Amino acid sequence: MPATAEITETLIRDYINRAVTDVFKTMLGREPTFSTQEPRGPGVQLSAPEGHRPQVVGTVGFIGDINGLIYLHLDLAFARLCTCHLLGMTEAELDEAGDEVINDAIGELTNMTVGGFKNGLCDAGYPCKLTIPSILRGSNFSIEPISSAVRRIYYFDCAEHRVVADILMKSDE
Amino acid sequence: MRYKVLTVDDSKTVRIIVKKAFKAFDCEILEAGNGVEGLAVAAKENPDLILLDVTMPVMDGVEMLTKLKSDPALKGIPVIMLTAEGGRDNVLKIAKIGVRDYLVKPFKEEVLIEKCGRVIDLKPLNDGPSKTKSIFDPADILVVEDKPAIVQQIQDGLKHTPWKVRGVSTQGEAIDQCAKQPPDVVLVSLSLPEESAFTLFRLIRTNVKTKYTPVFALVVKTETSQQQQAQTLGFSAIITKPIDTSELESKIAKAMNLDTSQRYYAFETDCLIMRLPENCSPSVLAEAAHYLKPKFSEAVDAGFNKVVIDIHQLRMLHMGVIKLLFQAMQTCRDLAMNFGLVGNAQIISECKGFEDTRGWTFYDSIDDAKANVGRPVAAAPQLAGVS
Repeated sequence: MPATAEITETLIRDYINRAVTDVFKTMLGREPTFSTQEPRGPGVQLSAPEGHRPQVVGTVGFIGDINGLIYLHLDLAFARLCTCHLLGMTEAELDEAGDEVINDAIGELTNMTVGGFKNGLCDAGYPCKLTIPSILRGSNFSIEPISSAVRRIYYFDCAEHRVVADILMKSDE
Repeated sequence: MRYKVLTVDDSKTVRIIVKKAFKAFDCEILEAGNGVEGLAVAAKENPDLILLDVTMPVMDGVEMLTKLKSDPALKGIPVIMLTAEGGRDNVLKIAKIGVRDYLVKPFKEEVLIEKCGRVIDLKPLNDGPSKTKSIFDPADILVVEDKPAIVQQIQDGLKHTPWKVRGVSTQGEAIDQCAKQPPDVVLVSLSLPEESAFTLFRLIRTNVKTKYTPVFALVVKTETSQQQQAQTLGFSAIITKPIDTSELESKIAKAMNLDTSQRYYAFETDCLIMRLPENCSPSVLAEAAHYLKPKFSEAVDAGFNKVVIDIHQLRMLHMGVIKLLFQAMQTCRDLAMNFGLVGNAQIISECKGFEDTRGWTFYDSIDDAKANVGRPVAAAPQLAGVS
C-alpha cells in the first residue's frame, strides 16, 4: 500500500505539533499553541492578510520511503526575535550581522522541526533522510504544489506571532 | 589543560550555540562546516571531543565518523552526535560505528554541557584576574540535613557572616537546589537514610556545575567508619558533631579559598592593627599566622611603621597564642617596625604567670597605643616600641 495514503492526517498533525512544540520550547523557551484555524486549500496565500508583511520561510525536505518537504513560515519580526534568542544577540548586533545570520538560524530551526517530524515517520516504519535547509524570503508570494502532492497546513500561535507549517508530501502513484 | 572541542555542523547557528554553551568553561572551540573540513581539523588539532552533525553537504556525519574510526591516529577521539537525526534505526546504526553519546536536536545548552562533561573534565573559566573573594563577600551554603536543629545551629553559628545558609532535608531537594543555583559549599549529613549522602556526593561530582564545589561531611565524632568512607570518596572536609561553628567557618573559608586576613589584620590611619578573636583555636591561630608575614610586609611597603597587637577580646592565654605573639613581635623587629600590645585585665594578669610573658606591658586602649607606639621610650610602656 502506498506510504502517503497509509499515514493518516491525525498522525501527521501529531508529529508536526510535537516537533514544533519541542523545538520552540527547547530552543526558544516559548510554548506554541496549536491553532484551531482550519487548513485551507492548495495555492493559499500564506502571507499576513493585513498587507504584505515580510516573511522568512525555512524549507527542509525528507526523502526515503516517504518523500516530501515542509515549509516553516515566520514573519520577519519573529524570525529576528528567534535569531536573537538562539544566538544570544541584541537587535543591534543582528542588524550588524545581516540577513545571512537570520537565514541560517531559521534554516536550523526548520531543520530541527522537520527532523522531529521525520523521526516520527522513521519510528512509524517509514525510514527517510533530511535534506539540507533552504530559505525563501519575500512579502508577497504563494507556494503552490503540483497537483499530485498531498498538502497539509497547520497553524501555531507563539508569542503573539503566527508560525505556519506547510507540509507537502509526494503521493505514491 | 585547555580542552579542544571540535563542532562539525553545516549550520553556523548550531556552531554559535555550541560556542555560547561552552563560553563559561575553559576550552577552545574549533569549527568545521562539513565532514571533509571536520577530518582536516581533527587531524591538525587533535581535539579532545568532537560534536558531529549528520546531515551536511560535501561529506555527511556518518561518512566522517566512519573515516575517523578507521584512522588509527584519530579513532580514539570521543564523538558525541549532535543532530536532528533521531530515528531509532538510524541512531542504532550510527551508534554501532562508535559514538560516546547521542544528542538529538533540539537540545538545551545545559544538557549538551552535561553530556560533554561526562567525556572531558570541563572546568569553569575564571574571567581574567578576578579579585580574591574575602570573608566579607556573600556566599551560598547548602546544608543537607534531616535534623532541623543542626541546620538551625549552623545558621545561628554563621549568622555573623555574610553567608546565606539554606537547609534541605533530602537528596532530591539538594539536587534541585544545586540545579537551580549551584551553592559555593555543600554540607551533607552522613546520617541521611539509605546512605543517600554518598549517592548525593557522587551526583554532585558528576554534574559539571558542581564538580568542583567543596562538599563537607557532617558526621558524629564516634562514627569512624563513616568518616573513613567519606574520606575515601573524596569529601573536601569532615565536620564532626557536635559542631564547632568557628571551626566550620574556618574550614568553609579555606575551602572557598577566601581571603580571611581581614579577620585579623586591618590598616588604620597610620598603623596596622593585628587583632585576635575571643577564642583562638588551632585553626584560628594557623589562619592568623598564615597572613602574618605578608600583612606586615604589606604594611612596611605601604609606609606604615607601627603595629598595634590587639588581644583585648581574648578570653584565655595559652601557648599557641603566646607563640603567635612572639612571632609577630619578632617579625616587627625584623622589619624595624614599632609595636604595642592592648589587652584586657585577665590577659594582662595571666601574662604575669608565664616566664616569657611576664615582662610584657600593655597600652590602656587601642587609641592609646595608636597615639603612643613609636614615641620615645620614656613615654611608652616596656617592650612597646622596638627598632
